[in-house]
Amino acid sequence: MTRHLMRSLAGSVAVAALAAGAALADGDKSLTIALTADASHMDPQAGEELSSNIMFYHIYDPLVRRDADLQFGPGLAESWELVDDTTWRFKLREGVKFHDGDTLQASDVVFTLDRLKASLMSNLAANIASYSAVDDLTVEIVTPQPYAALPNDLAAILILSEDHLAEVGDDGLERNPMGTGPYKLVEWVREDKVQLEAFDDYYMGEAEVEHVTFRPITNPATRTAALLTGEVDIVQDLAVRDVDRVKNEEGFEVVTRPSLLNLVLALDMREESPTIEGPNPMTDVRVREAMARAVDVDTLSKAIMNGLSTPSDQYVPASHVGHVDGLNFREKYPFDVDRAKELMAEAGYPDGFTLTLDATNNRYVNDAQIAQALAAMLAKIGVTVELNVMPKSNFWGYIRVPTENSSFIMSGWDVPSGDAGSMYGALFYTRDTREGYGQVNRGSYSNPEVDALVDKADSTAKIDERDGYLQEATKILMDEIPMIPVHYEQDIYAARDGVAFTPRTDKFLWAYSMDVAEE
Amino acid sequence: MLGYTLKRLLQMIVVLGAVSVIVFLMMSFTGDPVFMVVPIDATEAEIAQARRILGLDRSMPEQYAIFLKGMLQGDFGRSYVFREPALDLILERLPATLEIVVVAMLMSAVVAIPLGVYAGANPGRTESRAIMTGSLVGISLPSFWVGMMLIFLFAVKWNVFPSSGRGDTVEVMGTRWSIFTADGWHHIILPSLTLSLGTMAILLRITRAGMMEVTRQDYMKFARAKGVSRRGVLYGHGLRNALIPVVTIFGLQLGDLIAFATITETIFAWPGLGKLLIDSIYRADRPVIVVYLMLVATIFVVINFLVDILYTWIDPRIRVK
Repeated sequence: MTRHLMRSLAGSVAVAALAAGAALADGDKSLTIALTADASHMDPQAGEELSSNIMFYHIYDPLVRRDADLQFGPGLAESWELVDDTTWRFKLREGVKFHDGDTLQASDVVFTLDRLKASLMSNLAANIASYSAVDDLTVEIVTPQPYAALPNDLAAILILSEDHLAEVGDDGLERNPMGTGPYKLVEWVREDKVQLEAFDDYYMGEAEVEHVTFRPITNPATRTAALLTGEVDIVQDLAVRDVDRVKNEEGFEVVTRPSLLNLVLALDMREESPTIEGPNPMTDVRVREAMARAVDVDTLSKAIMNGLSTPSDQYVPASHVGHVDGLNFREKYPFDVDRAKELMAEAGYPDGFTLTLDATNNRYVNDAQIAQALAAMLAKIGVTVELNVMPKSNFWGYIRVPTENSSFIMSGWDVPSGDAGSMYGALFYTRDTREGYGQVNRGSYSNPEVDALVDKADSTAKIDERDGYLQEATKILMDEIPMIPVHYEQDIYAARDGVAFTPRTDKFLWAYSMDVAEE
Repeated sequence: MLGYTLKRLLQMIVVLGAVSVIVFLMMSFTGDPVFMVVPIDATEAEIAQARRILGLDRSMPEQYAIFLKGMLQGDFGRSYVFREPALDLILERLPATLEIVVVAMLMSAVVAIPLGVYAGANPGRTESRAIMTGSLVGISLPSFWVGMMLIFLFAVKWNVFPSSGRGDTVEVMGTRWSIFTADGWHHIILPSLTLSLGTMAILLRITRAGMMEVTRQDYMKFARAKGVSRRGVLYGHGLRNALIPVVTIFGLQLGDLIAFATITETIFAWPGLGKLLIDSIYRADRPVIVVYLMLVATIFVVINFLVDILYTWIDPRIRVK
């Protein structure tokens, strides 16, 4: 029995070796990419985190494609038009194939949206009121009010195959994902590897790199080692301390790119604040300005982020709708302790006050150290900051609106849809006045003007008008400082020479846009 | 014997019940899992929907009752994060952990017991002193440091072993195993060595202590006098009588490594149980943590049971009651 078992094992090893050899003989290009974590899902409607998102965009496609620089263009939909203020008509590409050979139809899009509405990710479809298939290749989507950023939202909705789901069942997508994307799933061994293979019939042409393997390597030092030993070609999130080591090594390259994640400090604007005794000084804009001026972002960057952060100029990056060119928070409120002290005195708080900062210790790069540095900086203008640092699993519930525990919160915010509107609506709209607005307004900021501008932005179907309204809102927010923007983290990658790869702003590594030099 | 087994089974059920209650209570302090699942800007309605889907809209006792009821039907609940049965997630990763642990334990035993016997039988020699000093180093070095050094030396510097991952696997009886492929062995050596060092040192010291005790006994001199070879005396008479504490520690260490190989697994990106536990704790994924800890409790009870049985075999004077 044992001998028999051993023989059959030896046989299968030989077969495996042969298969590997054959793949190489073909001259097929292959890439191995080390990620920080394994994907949790292959079902794009079951949840989202970065590793899963990376897999989703290899296997599935959205109607509207978002490129590496957050520009939006045709995806599965080749064109779209506004029929009236709230009705959009999307024309699907003809002859797009799913991996199983079926052709994409409008009914698949309708099915996808039906399923999405009932899923954990229903918030992706928050601005979709109804939808229907007009014919086989035309889908009509109606928004609850005029909404110019609908195409941006659609870039996050990945289209499923109705027939495939009928076949594998609602839970079957986890193990048998199938879409129209540039790669097919070959094998997913949890926590070990995800193997993908190029899809021959991809509608934009077959991918250059035939075989792609993603390997989750959580420990940063091991990721670096795996790159240096040649086990992987690209690593995500190269550890800051390894940057110089890899740069100095022959045959490797370090690539950085500012991320979309803006670290912001939310200031409580209520008359009374949970961690402050007596009336809340932060209701006075002079106090908020003083606090903004006390934060030295350059020192944070140098001392804590090893130079790998970009100070924020506004609440959203320059690529976004709603960003005002030439307006810079850092120039408006430069680091200036003396001026900050004057402002505190003018506001009637020459001796400062005491409050608690809530922050995470395992969510953002060096978050706990940043919180400590902020406490030291604010102490210079008399603001005593007590730190309340916790892991992210406790944090999100703790700071949840109506923020009964918090006065001062450090958290990150990113808007991959490339549009400030969703952020302003969620973070700055007066609480409890409109469904779906102000739900994350942690500081209870309230300004009817800002509310009106967000309303206007959300009731035009023209993107230019929307941009105009949101820019107005940006200007008001920069004057009133309901939040202090701090910095954008930088994404750091490393790759071996011969790999053509450009990081994306949204961090979604995409093998379809990569190439490997012929050996 | 049957009575003893039944008693142990009963004990196990009580332990498992206690573990599940404690984990349920503990997890109610570690944050609300729903916020780990929904996007940050989710509205109340979306959060309520997520709560309903995950079954978190009920009270704690109700959730526990549902969990117990499901468990009696063999359903241990679904992970909030992965949306798959928690037991499947754990069983999928168990073979990988078993592999490195079994190899590590074998490495420890093969190295530690002969060295321990030698050091115990010849306490004065320089070699024995060197062995004991070495064992101290083995106990004191933290595994994350050992792991990183092994990667640095054997993978990056000399390129003899891969730094991470599991290598080729072969499917045997429905699960994947690395120990049946050459490439798999290539990947197993470093993590197993890292895991084995601590256990190796402890086993060595216990074996030595036992041997020093035993070599002073009269029956050892008698055996030697009646003509048994030195080797035969040491292993046949000496080691057998020094083995009880060694087996006890071996069992405890085995359980410990299976349950908490976390650090080594993380360093070597080994897709085992430990990484799953850490990830689940970070994400407040209660169903996985409950089942994991219940499995660990079961493993400990079973190992201790087996160790008790082994006692009777090693020393026939011992009876299980």
